Amino acid sequence: MSPADPIRRLVVVGGGTAGWITAGVLAARFPMRGPNGVSVTLIESRTQPPIGVGEGTWPTIRSTLKQIGVSETDFLRECDASFKQGSKFVGWVDGSSGDSYYHPFTLPVDYIERNLAPYWLEGPRNPSFASGLCFQTRLCDHSLAPKQITTPEFAGLANYAYHLDAGKFVPFLQKHCIDKLGVTHVLDEIVEVVLDGAGAVSELRTKSGTPLPGDLFIDCSGFAALLIGKHLGVPFISCKDSLFIDKALAVQVPYPTEDTPIASVTLSTARSAGWIWDIGLTTRRGVGYVYSSAYASEETAVAELRSYLGAEPAFRAININSGYRREFWVGNCVAVGLSAGFLEPLEASAIVMIELSAKAIAELLPGLRSGLPQAARTFNEVFQHRWRRIVEFLKLHYVLSRRSEPFWVDNRQGSTIAECWRQHSPWHEDFTQREEVFSAASFQYVLYGMGFEPEPTPWLLNDADRTRAREKMAEVARHGESLRATLPTNRDLLARIRKYGLQKI
Amino acid sequence: MTNLTIVNSQVHLDLRVSPQPTREIAEMNAVSVIPREFPRLLAHYPIFFLKSQESGRFEPVALLGFELKENLFFTQGRWDVDYVPLQIQRQPFSLIPRAAAAGEPASLDLAIDLDSAQVQPEGTERLFSADGKATKYLEDRASILQALVSGSTEAYAFTSRLAELGLLETVQIKVEFVDRSEKTLQGLYWIATAALDKLTAAQLMGLRDRKYLEWLYFQMASLAQVSQLVARKNRLISGVAR
Repeated sequence: MSPADPIRRLVVVGGGTAGWITAGVLAARFPMRGPNGVSVTLIESRTQPPIGVGEGTWPTIRSTLKQIGVSETDFLRECDASFKQGSKFVGWVDGSSGDSYYHPFTLPVDYIERNLAPYWLEGPRNPSFASGLCFQTRLCDHSLAPKQITTPEFAGLANYAYHLDAGKFVPFLQKHCIDKLGVTHVLDEIVEVVLDGAGAVSELRTKSGTPLPGDLFIDCSGFAALLIGKHLGVPFISCKDSLFIDKALAVQVPYPTEDTPIASVTLSTARSAGWIWDIGLTTRRGVGYVYSSAYASEETAVAELRSYLGAEPAFRAININSGYRREFWVGNCVAVGLSAGFLEPLEASAIVMIELSAKAIAELLPGLRSGLPQAARTFNEVFQHRWRRIVEFLKLHYVLSRRSEPFWVDNRQGSTIAECWRQHSPWHEDFTQREEVFSAASFQYVLYGMGFEPEPTPWLLNDADRTRAREKMAEVARHGESLRATLPTNRDLLARIRKYGLQKI
Repeated sequence: MTNLTIVNSQVHLDLRVSPQPTREIAEMNAVSVIPREFPRLLAHYPIFFLKSQESGRFEPVALLGFELKENLFFTQGRWDVDYVPLQIQRQPFSLIPRAAAAGEPASLDLAIDLDSAQVQPEGTERLFSADGKATKYLEDRASILQALVSGSTEAYAFTSRLAELGLLETVQIKVEFVDRSEKTLQGLYWIATAALDKLTAAQLMGLRDRKYLEWLYFQMASLAQVSQLVARKNRLISGVAR
């Protein structure tokens, strides 16, 4: 193959969440099919049985689904999805009663204009940072929906994402990609990766004998990492020195009654050697304990999960190997999803990283082979930064804790990542990339939610902004109360959507 | 408050009702309507679509006023045009679902709101004649209610087809009154004429076959009544008696 050859045949390896999201994003972006267009082919060895873990997403998922051309009504109905408006961390500060804080999706008030955090910090700290500067916590307190039945698809009165059943999301996307976007689905096993003279992958040999040629191969093969790991041997960078969690116990929990409220947030509750996630879908909850095996045996972990649930957990054990690849795009192969990396689900970074990767591939995709090295360089630079920032942000949650169990004490040892925020509140200039995974808003919510105490620097503040902060906080309270009076509960709205659907406009 | 009671010839033999809608009933700025009244409505009322608060689905409404509870067709205790929307005419009666055993088809009972101000001893209409037979007045109410039930199903089928074809779009109606005050009406939808122009012949035929084409042109024609509604408001503002 020559550098002047066009890139037209996109091959996605693996049919999980990463594979179908990537195939969908690419097929929607390059809709021209036929001999002069772009083909998107997804190959998977066989349909994996659905795992059915409840998964959290970020608000980016709304634009991703919209771009792919999915209807929000169909998605909510078919994936048992519910609305997610952020996370609530319980027991993370010191584990005392009433220890909890929110990391909501809606930005702090006035965020685009000015940083009001220093003014909240010099006040009485009541209400909490998130409740004082963001109306959304009031909705979360009462399990309210972020929208009304009259609100169009993908629009909201508060920023939101979804909790979804990954086991249903995959077939849902698959059907849409094949029927609506013209993605070719190949059920076959890859037996050999064939290289051309220049060392690029030219085709995949399959068990059935039909070779699958391509110009760009996207490795969505999960932990197997068929191309990026097995074939290309790109090393895996472990994060276990920083993130101690290496095990998870996952359970599905039915709702006790048909009208049990569906929570508006992912609940994350700290325990002796990790934390418990709790995600409310429409039909059931997905709960799991992620912990470090160096600090708790499986028996201890099961006992802690049992006491959280108040019932014997019928759990499934999962190993977590935190880390990511040194490079993600090599030659004409790029890794997306678990093959690229995996981290504990503390901030639900898995699906959003898939979306960001798919979007970046679509935007960087060169028309000709000669453009591949440049695209790979840019992609790797951006995603190395992103993975590093996620690891750092996850670690921030741990180092700010004052819990006394060894797991938590050891997490604080030798880490100085919070120190840079001692004399200065996180703000736009602190973040260098155009699309940072975690913005200043997220840092503020976690730092001040965790009770981080910066040095007071009153000479940097002024009365005009002080007055404005007071007014804005009053506005937040009023806005929150008025929405509280008009928004339905999650359960009520989801039932209506099931019955009537949402309008497109 | 409402006090719905199933109509019964023995209990309600002597009950009297005034057919004139009362203020409580009339105090609304939009009333839900059904397609088969469109030809009558368009002589007086602008018809728009808005989203039902219950279901979010589009329903056709006749616009009656510009402010909350403002009904410019209801003056000095009476409706002042000759065609009153069925949703008003049916008052004070309703259909309520009958508790049915499992497997039995659902059925509806005719009920009257005994707390309605239209139920009054000096009312001109009776429900039953002395021998217990339903009067024409009562029979008419029952058929209006039946028409509303099937009409509402028809209306939703109509609007969901319109939405499917992208034929509805949001519109802000901005009006200025004689005293220079302005009002912008939000939350209204109308026919997206640009999308209508782009329909294929097959889509147009599909609309025609279900009478939808006729209905949507009635709706579009009714928009001429917006200026008449403004004129009504202007007369009210300048205190001109009609």
